[in-house]
Amino acid sequence: MSRAVEPAPTVERYLAEVTALLPGPAKAHDGILAELRTGLLDAADSHRSAGLTAAQAAEEAVREFGDPGEVADGFRAEIAADQARRVVIVLLATGPVVGLLWIVTALAGHLPIHVPSAEGPGMGLPLVALAVGVTVWAALLGIASTGRLTRWLPAEPRQAPTAAAVAGFGAVGADALGLALLAVELATAPGRLSALLAMLLAATAATASVARLLFAGRAVCRCLAMRAGLG
Amino acid sequence: MRAETLKGHLDGILLAVLESGPHHGYAIMEDLRVRSGGRVDLPTGTVYPAMHRLERAGLVQADWSEVGGRRRRVYELTSAGRRALDTERSSWLDFSAAVSALLQPSQIAVNPS
Repeated sequence: MSRAVEPAPTVERYLAEVTALLPGPAKAHDGILAELRTGLLDAADSHRSAGLTAAQAAEEAVREFGDPGEVADGFRAEIAADQARRVVIVLLATGPVVGLLWIVTALAGHLPIHVPSAEGPGMGLPLVALAVGVTVWAALLGIASTGRLTRWLPAEPRQAPTAAAVAGFGAVGADALGLALLAVELATAPGRLSALLAMLLAATAATASVARLLFAGRAVCRCLAMRAGLG
Repeated sequence: MRAETLKGHLDGILLAVLESGPHHGYAIMEDLRVRSGGRVDLPTGTVYPAMHRLERAGLVQADWSEVGGRRRRVYELTSAGRRALDTERSSWLDFSAAVSALLQPSQIAVNPS
């Protein structure tokens, strides 16, 4: 009597095909693959109890689950929503911290944050406010389109990655402007930031802005790629 | 009955399957087949993303648990899911009653003149 073939290779081959079509980091696929694997093994068990051999049961389970592309398509929107939600939550959580660092730096260095002139910082601050406003608005839209409100909103899978990408653009703009304003201050009035405390605060704020800018920049690329994958 | 035919009603159908109690992914599909007398035959793999979407909307909740020696993601209805199912059910009954009435062979003889 020949030994029954284990279903695992067929199942794993199917899962590899699905994985290859999923967007986002591999970590985001772990739960999905574990759940699909259990389902495929359940299906194979069901077919075995109907009299098929292990190999036939695995083939039948895979056939029953459908085209890997169709399964991946279904998960693509879910992964995009999950990733978009993470991005906007990070941006919303870090925004006030970075903003506060800049405000404290400006106060400690007696920077002219209230100057209403149309030159230098006076011109940059309204742009910072605009970028922050865009970030917050888009991030809130991202939260709405990835959570419980989706039960009342029309299904539009591309909305979440779009909102996260716009929020990321806004954050890149706000942080880049903050850094540019600091550079202008250092170039035009270096004495304002010569005190040790002001210098430390400026360095901390600049480091935080650079880190956030890099995160937001990468997030924009990732979200736009996922948006494109949603057709 | 394929996915295209069920479009727009899949969420309600999945919620209805969970009305009787928590189910894992494959059990949902088996229940769908049994309850529809084999007429609903979706690719099983497409049920999983639909369940994730319902979970994100807060209509079901999912937890990993060990059932039958395997770790499974078990879904159950939330109270919002029960309300959504009630709404879905009543709108389907209204819709099907209206369409049935319209599709009935007409009782009125049409006079060609």
